[in-house]
Amino acid sequence: MSQSCLDCARRSERVFCDLEPGALQEFDGIKSFQTYPRASVLFREGERANSVFLICKGRVRLTVCSESGRRMTLRTAPAGEVLGLSAVLSGGHYEVTAEVVEAAETAEIPRKELLNFLREHREVCMQVVNLLSEDLHVAYDRVRAVGLARTRHPQLHSAPAH
Amino acid sequence: MLSPYGLDIIESCLTCKMRAERLFCDLPTAALQSFESIKYATAYPKGAVLFVEGQAPRGIFVLCKGRIKLSICASDGKTLILKIAEPGEVLGLSAAVSGKAYELTAETIDPCQVNFVKREDFLRFLKEHSDACFKVAEQLSEKYNVACHEVRSLGLSHSAAEKLAKLLIEWSSKNGESLKQEPRLKLALTHEEIAQMIGTSRETVTRLFADLKKRQILQTKGSTLVIRNKAALRSLATTG
Repeated sequence: MSQSCLDCARRSERVFCDLEPGALQEFDGIKSFQTYPRASVLFREGERANSVFLICKGRVRLTVCSESGRRMTLRTAPAGEVLGLSAVLSGGHYEVTAEVVEAAETAEIPRKELLNFLREHREVCMQVVNLLSEDLHVAYDRVRAVGLARTRHPQLHSAPAH
Repeated sequence: MLSPYGLDIIESCLTCKMRAERLFCDLPTAALQSFESIKYATAYPKGAVLFVEGQAPRGIFVLCKGRIKLSICASDGKTLILKIAEPGEVLGLSAAVSGKAYELTAETIDPCQVNFVKREDFLRFLKEHSDACFKVAEQLSEKYNVACHEVRSLGLSHSAAEKLAKLLIEWSSKNGESLKQEPRLKLALTHEEIAQMIGTSRETVTRLFADLKKRQILQTKGSTLVIRNKAALRSLATTG
C-alpha cells in the first residue's frame, strides 16, 4: 500500500508537511508508508535511532522508564508530529518509547536519507529547527511540572499534562 | 596585560584553538566569518545573570569559557537547576528561534566569556548558512535529550539519595575518571545548588553527604570528592 504525500489532503495544515513542490517530491521518494495497530511500538527508549516517524494519522504515547521498570508518560503526540527527530539528529538513541494508542499511519525516513534531505533543502532544515524548539519547549514544561510541583515524596505515576 | 575577571578573552572565532572540538563552532570558514561579524564578545564575573526565565529573547549566548547554571523557577520561588552548561554550548537557543520567552535563567558560576548574537542577526545567519542551521538542530536535539533525562530522573527516582548518587556518578564520569578505581570529582556547586538540581532541601543533601562519608562510600579532600566505593554508589543510584 502506498500513500503519496502529493495527494495528501492534510498537507497544508501540518508544519512539516507543507513543503514546496520540489522538496515534497523528494521527500515522497525517501519515505516509506506504514500502518500500525493500537498497542504496537514504533521504537523503544535506548534503541539506536535509525529513522524518524512522521505521524500521518492516529496518536502515539511517549514514555520513559526507570531501571526498575517504572514507566512514566511524557505526553501523547497527535497526528502531524515528527517523532525521533532529536534522537536521529544527535546520532544517538531514542530518548523515549513510542506506543500507538490510536491506530496509526506513519511516514518513516531513515537517518541517512533524512540528513541528506536536510542538507539539500535549507528551508526544511529551518523547519526542523522550529519543530525541535517546540519539542524542547514542551519538554521544559514537563520538567517544570514534574520537578517543581512535587512534595517531599514524589508520586510514582504522573498523569499526562495534556 | 590586564584582562577582565582574569579571563584571557578569545577575540576571533577564526583563530580560536577550541574551534574543532566544539559542535557549534566547527563551522566552515565562510559561515564562521559571517558569525564573526554579528557576534559581540563579552566577559561576565561569577554570579552574573545573562537572562531570566520569562524574559523576551534578545538573542543567543555562545559560552566560550567558564560554566553557567541553568535553572527553572516555580511561582513560589522554588528553584530547579536543570544543568550546568559547559563551553561550546549555545544558550537561549530555543527562545531565540521560536521568539518565545527564555525558558531558563542563566547565571555564571565562574568568570565567563560569552559571545552574544542579536536575535534578528542570528535568524538571518541561519537562513543563509545551512551548516549552521544543521548545527543548531543538533544542539536543540542535545538539549531535548537532557530535558528528557531530567524528567525521567525527577519523575521516576524514588529518593533524594538515589538522585544524589546518580548525579555524583554522572559528574565522576567526565575526564575519564570513571575508569579509575576511585574516581574523583571537583564539587563545583554548594549543597543548596545540588539540592536545587535534584529537587530536595539543602538539609537533606548535607545529611546525605554526611551519611555517605560515614559509610566510607565517599571521602572529601578539600573541594575534591573521592568515590571510595563505586559499586555501593552505583547500587544506591538504582534502588528505585
